[in-house]
Amino acid sequence: MTATKRNKPAIVSHDQWIAARTKLLKKEKEFTRARDDLARMRRALPWERVEKSYAFEGPDGKETLAQLFGGRSQLFVYHFMFAPGDTEGCPICSFWADHYDGAGLHLPQRDVSFVVVSRAPFAAIERFKQRMGWRFKWVSSGNSDFNYDLGVSFTPEQVKRGSVFYNYATTDFAMPDREGASVFYRDPGGTVFHTYSSYARGIDLLNGTYNVLDLVPKGRDEDPDEPVSWVRHHDRY
Amino acid sequence: MTKHKTGTRAEWLAARLELLKAEKDLTRQSDALARQRQELPWVRIDTQYRFETDEGSAALTDLFRGRSQLLVYHFMFGPDYTAGCPACSAIADGFNGFGVHLANHDVMLWAVSRAPLVKLQAYKRRMGWTFPWASSFGNDFNVDFNVCFTEEQQREGGIEYNYRREAGAPLIGRSTAEWQESPVAEVAAMTGTDVATYTRERPGMSGFAFQDGVVYHTYSAYARGLDGLWGMYQWLDRAPLGRNESGFWMHRHDEYDKR
Repeated sequence: MTATKRNKPAIVSHDQWIAARTKLLKKEKEFTRARDDLARMRRALPWERVEKSYAFEGPDGKETLAQLFGGRSQLFVYHFMFAPGDTEGCPICSFWADHYDGAGLHLPQRDVSFVVVSRAPFAAIERFKQRMGWRFKWVSSGNSDFNYDLGVSFTPEQVKRGSVFYNYATTDFAMPDREGASVFYRDPGGTVFHTYSSYARGIDLLNGTYNVLDLVPKGRDEDPDEPVSWVRHHDRY
Repeated sequence: MTKHKTGTRAEWLAARLELLKAEKDLTRQSDALARQRQELPWVRIDTQYRFETDEGSAALTDLFRGRSQLLVYHFMFGPDYTAGCPACSAIADGFNGFGVHLANHDVMLWAVSRAPLVKLQAYKRRMGWTFPWASSFGNDFNVDFNVCFTEEQQREGGIEYNYRREAGAPLIGRSTAEWQESPVAEVAAMTGTDVATYTRERPGMSGFAFQDGVVYHTYSAYARGLDGLWGMYQWLDRAPLGRNESGFWMHRHDEYDKR
C-alpha cells in the first residue's frame, strides 16, 4: 500500500468535518458561477470569417472544413500532436483523447460535431486509432495550412529560430506541433467562422482526470518540473 | 448571414487576448480550490461496509486495490430502477475512458449503486463500460454519504443533500402533479420509475484515503459540484451555442439516433 506523501491532516468528527466542508462549498459555488460567467464571455467573442479553403483526408474521403461540420452548425476541433513520420500520436494528447472519446458521444446531440485533426497521413492516424480503440472522427490536415493558421504547428524555420507564437504569446519553447482546441460555426448559408481557440492550460478543464485529481487527497501529485511524466498511452501502463 | 458580431483577425485576437486573462484567472482559481480541498480535515470510517463486486464480497478497503486513494462515483441506480440514470450514464461515459490513468496515479475509481450486482452487471455490459462497479445493496453506504433517502425523509423534509436541508413533501416545494410534468418525470420514466422513487437516489462522489490500515473520508461533492467531472459540459462551454439546453436532452449513448 502506497502511503500518501503529505502529512496526515487533522482527523475530526463528522460534525466538525461538515463545518469545514460547508465553508469550502461556498468557494466551490463561487468557482462554478465564475466558470459559467466565463462560458458566457466566450460566447460573446466576435467571430472571424474563415476565407481560406482547407482540405482534409479522413474516413469519409477528402473533405473541406465546411464538410467536417457533418450538417451541424458547430464544429469542435481537437489539435492532436501527431506529425508526419511518427508511428504513434503524442501520449499526452492520447491521454486527453481518452476523455473526449466518451464525452464526444453526447456532443452531436447538442449540434456539435467533434473532429480530431493531425498533420500525420490518414493511414498512420487510422492505424494508431485502431490500436487505441477510439471511436471519434480523426482526419489528416496533410500539407494544408490548417494547423499553422490555427497556431498549433510551426515551420522548421520558426522552430530553428527558437521563437514561436503559441497560446497568444511569443515563446521560446519551440516544437513542430503543440496541442489545442478550436471551434467553428457554420451559418445556414454555408459561411464558416472561427469562434474560439485555446491552448496549453486553457484545455485543462477538458481533461476529466485532472478534474478528478483536483478532488483527491494528494491532488495532481505531479513532478513540478515534468508534470505529465507519469502519463502513458492507455495500453502501455 | 449570421447575427453574431464578426470582426477581422486583429479584432478577434484583441478580444481573445482579453478573454485569455479571464480564463487564466479561472484556471488559477481552480488550482487554489484544489489546494483548499487537500487541506480539508479527514473523518475516520469505522463502519464495516460490505459490497458485492465482480470479484465477490468486498470491504471498503478492498476497493482501493492497493492504491492509497479511492474515489466513488455515487451512480443513481436504485433497486427499483430498470436501468441506470441517463445523466449518470453520460458522466460514466467520461470516466470509463480515463479510469485507467487514475489507476496508474494511485487513485482507484469505482461506481457504487444500491441496485443488486446482477442488474449493474447487465447494464454495464449493455453500455460497454469497463470501470469497476460495486453494489451497496443492503448496506448503509449510500445513506451515510447522503445520496439515498427514505420516503419518510421525502415526506417530512429530512433530506440533507449537498450540505443543505431540503423542504419536505410536496416534493421539494412542488406538488407531485407539478413534478410529474417536469423534465424530471421524463428522466424518471427512462429508469422505469416515478419522480419520488427516482429522486430518492441522488448523484455524488466521495473521496477516501487509506493510511496505516485505516480508511478516512476526505471529500464529497454533489449536484453542480460534479459539473467538472462531466467532460461533455466542459466542451460545450466552449462551443458557440454553449450548453444549448432546453429541457432534458440527454440519453444513453446507445439510444441516440444514428446520424
